[in-house]
Amino acid sequence: MKKNLYLLFLFTFIAFLFSACVKDTDFNQTDDIALTTVLELDFIFFNINSQNFTDLGINNTIVSDTTDLDFLDSEIVSENIIRADFYFRNTNSFPVSFLAQYQFLNDNNEIKYEVIVPVQAGNNIDPVITEFTEIIENNALVNFTMATKVVVNTIATSSLNNINGNLDLQSKATYYLRIEE
Amino acid sequence: MKYLLYCIFFSWGFSLFSQNKEVLYGLDETPQALLLNPGARISNSFHIGIPLISHLHFNGGSSGVSAYDIFQKSSVDINTRIINTISELDDRDFFTTTQQLEILNFGWKNKKEFYFSGGLYQEFDFVFYFPKDLAVLAWEGNANYIGKKFDLGEINTRGDLLMVYHLGATKRWNKKLTIGARAKIYSSLLSFSSTDNSGTFETRISESGNNIYEHLISNINLSLNTSGIASLNDLEGGSATNKILSRAFFSGNIGVGVDLGATYEINEKWTASASFIDLGAIFHTKDVESYAINGEYTLDGIELLFPPIGSGNSAPPYYDDLIDEIEESFSLDSIYNSYSQMRPLKAYASLKYNFGRPVGGDEGCDCLNTGENQKYNQSVGVQFFNMFRPKGPQFAATLFYYRKISDYLTFKTTYTADSYSYNNIGLGLVANIKILNFYIVANNLQWYSNFAKAKSVSLQMGLNIIIDENK
Repeated sequence: MKKNLYLLFLFTFIAFLFSACVKDTDFNQTDDIALTTVLELDFIFFNINSQNFTDLGINNTIVSDTTDLDFLDSEIVSENIIRADFYFRNTNSFPVSFLAQYQFLNDNNEIKYEVIVPVQAGNNIDPVITEFTEIIENNALVNFTMATKVVVNTIATSSLNNINGNLDLQSKATYYLRIEE
Repeated sequence: MKYLLYCIFFSWGFSLFSQNKEVLYGLDETPQALLLNPGARISNSFHIGIPLISHLHFNGGSSGVSAYDIFQKSSVDINTRIINTISELDDRDFFTTTQQLEILNFGWKNKKEFYFSGGLYQEFDFVFYFPKDLAVLAWEGNANYIGKKFDLGEINTRGDLLMVYHLGATKRWNKKLTIGARAKIYSSLLSFSSTDNSGTFETRISESGNNIYEHLISNINLSLNTSGIASLNDLEGGSATNKILSRAFFSGNIGVGVDLGATYEINEKWTASASFIDLGAIFHTKDVESYAINGEYTLDGIELLFPPIGSGNSAPPYYDDLIDEIEESFSLDSIYNSYSQMRPLKAYASLKYNFGRPVGGDEGCDCLNTGENQKYNQSVGVQFFNMFRPKGPQFAATLFYYRKISDYLTFKTTYTADSYSYNNIGLGLVANIKILNFYIVANNLQWYSNFAKAKSVSLQMGLNIIIDENK
């Protein structure tokens, strides 16, 4: 009799172990998992003086440069980006104001997005800082992520011949990503 | 990413945690107790495990989080729970899985009272330390962490699939002392480890003044050792499996090790025991491929120079130059040098107080045949376990109560505090029905009504044939 009771105890324990369950959980929530990553990255920078302009002509008022940005139309960016903020900080010691034009182009050199930043005139003693933030989201972002390069046109509002000064740009981008299935 | 998470969290519902077998240790009614302490006092004269089912062991878990913590039904968004969990964990938290399948186990006592035991078992052992900084960087990005150095050296993982051949001897040296040793040969089927890493990533306000930030990748020194894996890359699933299995019989990377153990009967009431398991190393000489990446770089964006070029000419390739410069700053090497790897050493120690009805010996048996060395049918005690992992020891302390209810049934219950929890309740039952010996052991029983809340669970079971000449 006792032996049977012991065996019953043993079998009850085994049954208990195999009746273990997982409850109050919902593993379908994996569908809702999303990484909401916010990346701060330096963008472009430069420091130019009047010679950059006059090398192209005594009264030249525009200088341009271009750089590829191949990552913009990459799969990870184009499929997951939900917003991009571009912050530009120009420090100008020229007594001349500028327009800084950022044209984001695709491989066919078509403009997919454009940012125009006005830069206030300054002076050598007290350079003027102009800050500008461009927020790109929604439909504009779709176009933006088709770009693969940026053309930077820096346009002086008057000739810089015989004018001392510097125009300094610092910039950063904040990429808001939402990475999900 | 989601499926990786799903697999991690879901799999530990079925697998179990750490290599601590706190219930089976000292449960000398099972031959498998000899694998935890070759100096265990064993009373039978012969045993053989039923091949492939004499010892099944699954064990896994996480030191800091349960599946319920993440996947509970709640109005709180799962991503919020994940972020909260990431903030609670640190780089010493880990995920681990161990699995063992005993293929053969046998033992016999010779005329000189040596008990020899040997066999063969397969083992899989995996540990992955939580790289908290990388998780924060992936989940939140660097925007809110300007000035923080993300530690890339937190990457720390190791996995081994191996066969273990072993032969041991146990001898009751005198009335008080039983000692034992077990020699082991390891045949590694697959192995990988990445345990010696360093380096940081930091975004800080620019000190050079070139741009707004500086992104510094500093002192990167990352490595991954693999053996038995490179040759599988070009094989199909079935061929790869066959190749892995073919290594089981000493054609893999070979290692040697030893288990040592002893049991000391301080007096009639008190007994102490201790053991070291897997004191050894595997020497990886075949199919070895290791990778190392070193370097450092500071990124501050793309500097435009506005060169005086006319229309129709191309601007300098700033972006390509930048990518080239970054790639040149880091060296990625494939290394084919042999390396050796210590086995994760486990240590047990136990002190127990025996009481209850006196049985055995010359004092008049009450017919509870608990073996020639067992004087009482009950005991309580304390056990300690320590396992040496890449980032330091995993420690566990256990209180236990043992009782031999009858010739047929013995149980041991445990209360353990370890890296996973402070309230792990375990229970082991051993049934002896004629020559059949069946045991089943599990822990974290308090969570069996809902596995999802357990940070770890462990299960061992098996079936042996035992012949005890004392019966």
